[in-house]
Amino acid sequence: MILRRPVFWLILVFAALMAFVPLHANNVSMREDLILVAIAIILASNLNLMIGYTGYVNFGHIVFYGLGGYVGLYLATVRSWNLVLAALTAGLVVSLFALALGMGILRLRGAYFALATIGVLQAVQSFVANFDPWGRSTGMYVAFDAYERLGGARHALWTTYFLVIGVMALSMILSLGIKISKFGLGLFAIREDEDAALVLGVNTTVFKAIIYSVSAFLPAVAGALMFYKNGMIDPSIAFEFMLSLEGIVMLMLGGKGTVVGAALGGGLYEKLRSYLLTSPKFSNFQLVIAGGLLLLVVLFAPGGLIGWLYRLVPRARKVIE
Amino acid sequence: MKRLVLAVFVLVALFVTTGFAQTLTVGFTVSNTGSMNVDSVEQLHGFELWRDQVNAAGGIKAGGKNYKIQFVSYDDESNSKRVQQLYSRLILQDKADFLFSPYSSPLTATAAIVTEQYEKVMLTTGAAEGKTYTLGNHYLFQMFTPGAEYLKGVLDMLKTKDPKAAVAFVYEDSSFSVSVVNPAKAYAQQLGFNVAFSEAYAPNTTDFSAIIDKVIASKSTVLLGGGHYADGSTLARQVYSHKVPLKMVTLLVAPDSPKWGELGDAAVGVIVPSQWEPQTAFKAQYGPSGADFAKAYAGKYNTPPSYESAGGYACGLVLQRAIEQAGGPDTAKVAAALNATDITTFYGRTKFSTAANEHGLQVGHAMVLAQWQKDKSGALVKQVVWPLAAKSANLVYPIH
Repeated sequence: MILRRPVFWLILVFAALMAFVPLHANNVSMREDLILVAIAIILASNLNLMIGYTGYVNFGHIVFYGLGGYVGLYLATVRSWNLVLAALTAGLVVSLFALALGMGILRLRGAYFALATIGVLQAVQSFVANFDPWGRSTGMYVAFDAYERLGGARHALWTTYFLVIGVMALSMILSLGIKISKFGLGLFAIREDEDAALVLGVNTTVFKAIIYSVSAFLPAVAGALMFYKNGMIDPSIAFEFMLSLEGIVMLMLGGKGTVVGAALGGGLYEKLRSYLLTSPKFSNFQLVIAGGLLLLVVLFAPGGLIGWLYRLVPRARKVIE
Repeated sequence: MKRLVLAVFVLVALFVTTGFAQTLTVGFTVSNTGSMNVDSVEQLHGFELWRDQVNAAGGIKAGGKNYKIQFVSYDDESNSKRVQQLYSRLILQDKADFLFSPYSSPLTATAAIVTEQYEKVMLTTGAAEGKTYTLGNHYLFQMFTPGAEYLKGVLDMLKTKDPKAAVAFVYEDSSFSVSVVNPAKAYAQQLGFNVAFSEAYAPNTTDFSAIIDKVIASKSTVLLGGGHYADGSTLARQVYSHKVPLKMVTLLVAPDSPKWGELGDAAVGVIVPSQWEPQTAFKAQYGPSGADFAKAYAGKYNTPPSYESAGGYACGLVLQRAIEQAGGPDTAKVAAALNATDITTFYGRTKFSTAANEHGLQVGHAMVLAQWQKDKSGALVKQVVWPLAAKSANLVYPIH
């Protein structure tokens, strides 16, 4: 039962704090900082389903986020749909796309799969850059008055913030739910030894395609919300390879394969980058410091922060999953 | 005792003099890192030169007060992801009175969502894409000529030289280039030119031979297009080495850079539409002359100003004039003064559209065309060839 897991309640408390604190303080700067933290957690948690649980490195994970952004923005602006409905539809469409794609490319293993995911990212980007209804390479813009439907821009940005926090909480709960399920065990079996899992009766191709599709849903919803808030989308912003790589770094930092690790890595990495960027002391060499710190983590705590915590306090394993 | 009195006197004097000059904060982000670093930093240098000159002259004088300028800026990493976070911070934490835009159209569009909701004036420079201004804003003011106008001058000039030219469009498949080329194509057809070939290439393309073969096969006599520095310079080099029989080559952005001269013979004859060139002799009604600006800029940064730098400086100048006319930094009054602005500075004419469906769009500024030519000593120099009133040399046509 998921309700008996302390982490489940921790996630709810964390999400409630994230939502309540900036609202209570009416602090928009804090909200803008935290929404990027939430997005990082969403991306890292869902990427963790592929990398941490199944052992498949997905370099093109950002494709779901970008595609979700496109579908969502198209429905919410050109088709004037309700934002929540547009975002959910975007999630569904992108998930189905991932399922169809996954059945094909997940027959590949190891480095070949990783390469194929880069190919998918490039192919989707090229397609979108030539797709007329989505504005080709000039992208789509949100008219300022589009926010009026949500009670004006100020109100709309708060609404999007709470929705993103909701998606963040769902991402973490989804990670936990899968981790403690039989389906999750099947994924771990694939990660440890795919051939053995096959012999034991795990339909590896279907399992992999399903998790690939599931890992696409919430990032796509988040993409729809985030690009709506952003006010515009174009292929270079939507499908940024660097953000895909950063997702992997977040997982390494927090500890892949764990629910809290993925979220912690995502949150900390974003906070760190954000602090260095705006700090008058460090802003000129922020990339050097960020790079150096990550190098230290990889060298001295290869299991990430959570792995390090497990080694230090073995009992923590029972509470912090 | 005497010393004490003197010290108190000095302190009071200091307090009084600093008390007179108030400070205005102008906020913006700069691409200190990432792909737009070079252009963005040139723009920043323009901002900084303006600030230093204003402060050295005692600040902006408006409504009987003096306002010194201070900047707050952050690195946006050439990425729109963080732009809203940083502009919110500039407005809410750093209490910026006015804002300048980031460099590039996508980043500016993203920042505008934030500046509009806080009803803050943002002067945009380095952002030519016109779409942002058609979305119902009230406080955006564009310094650059919109993208749709970039290639119109070239086509007008071509019409006077060779109305039967066959035109090929070869351009980067990016937001900026597409927004420039699409209206240009329509304008070329409107002028009666034969658009013989048109193809977009992926950003980062390094081998243009297939496209060049198609250009040759289409019997085009004029090539328009390009995108940014890397692809534009490669395209020019390969067009030259393939000995394509073209009478004119016009590329966006790249040939404006002083580095273009390093291409040697491949650089000769190439035309670039430019927001501003040091040779353009506009009679400034306000602010320094072009020559004074270029001299001060070169003195401070040891390099001639690019049009990004000029746009940055002019941005400050237009804001300064609006604050003076508004009698202080009140946002509504400054916005009204900007709406009424119609002024010629060293940068050319500046006038913003006040139509509700395109508020803030630049409608006064005109592009100039610069062509790389060899001077008497055989050295490569950029000459202004269009409009004729501002030319520093005659157009070389055909180039071969």
